[in-house]
Amino acid sequence: MPCIEPLAPGEIRDPELRALIERCERLGVPDSLFPRILARVPDYARALLRAMLISHAEGNVDHKLKEIIRVQLARRAADPYFAGLRSAKAMADGLDEAAIAAGCDDYERSPRFSEAEKWALRYADQMYLNPASVDAAFYAGMKQHYSEAQIMELGAFIALHYGMQVFMRTLANGVPASATSEA
Amino acid sequence: MATDPAAVGQEFYAGLRQYYSAAEIVELGSFIGFNLGFHTFFGTLKFYPMFAPDGRLVNQQESARIYGDAPASLVGAGRG
Repeated sequence: MPCIEPLAPGEIRDPELRALIERCERLGVPDSLFPRILARVPDYARALLRAMLISHAEGNVDHKLKEIIRVQLARRAADPYFAGLRSAKAMADGLDEAAIAAGCDDYERSPRFSEAEKWALRYADQMYLNPASVDAAFYAGMKQHYSEAQIMELGAFIALHYGMQVFMRTLANGVPASATSEA
Repeated sequence: MATDPAAVGQEFYAGLRQYYSAAEIVELGSFIGFNLGFHTFFGTLKFYPMFAPDGRLVNQQESARIYGDAPASLVGAGRG
């Protein structure tokens, strides 16, 4: 069990929050565990879950690429919970574990990824490893491949998901991985 | 959470529970996670204050000239 116990499904009575959690369960990211922890603060849970779902599964950047980035970030955050989840939508669209592994490894040398995809992977990778390197020249490079709206979409997605992964990582510190897995 | 997340584990949460309810801890943790993620992102965008010290609304170029590369707002952030 995580350091803060999730609410039982029956304890969550807010219909909007229940609908969001069902949407999370269908997507698979997050599954119901993290939302049921957040549900202890229903106003926060509604806002954060809605933002997590929109930033990950909607917008104008490829969802499969975002899923690779999300797993890359979760591994960077040392968060086994989010690193172990997979988007059912991305997998149904053809994403596979080999592509995820390549995106989390030496993606710069991988022939799997286009230059645009490498810029997005690099953006996530460098944002928390070496944020000073994400400077005006870096953004100029990104603008060769993405609109400013897409860059904001990626940046906000990366920031929100990484922040929640670090939080969840602390909730699972010292807890057996099986205790934070709903599989 | 920002500088040593490995240190925030079961024992740490047990300490927090002496002072905060589970709901308050989730509120704090998600607030910190949100800010941890977004402040780093915003930092890469090189925002400058919208107002000069005298209260004038200034554009980003002028603000950068006024405030320079080391904004006073970062003093005390452990960044030298």
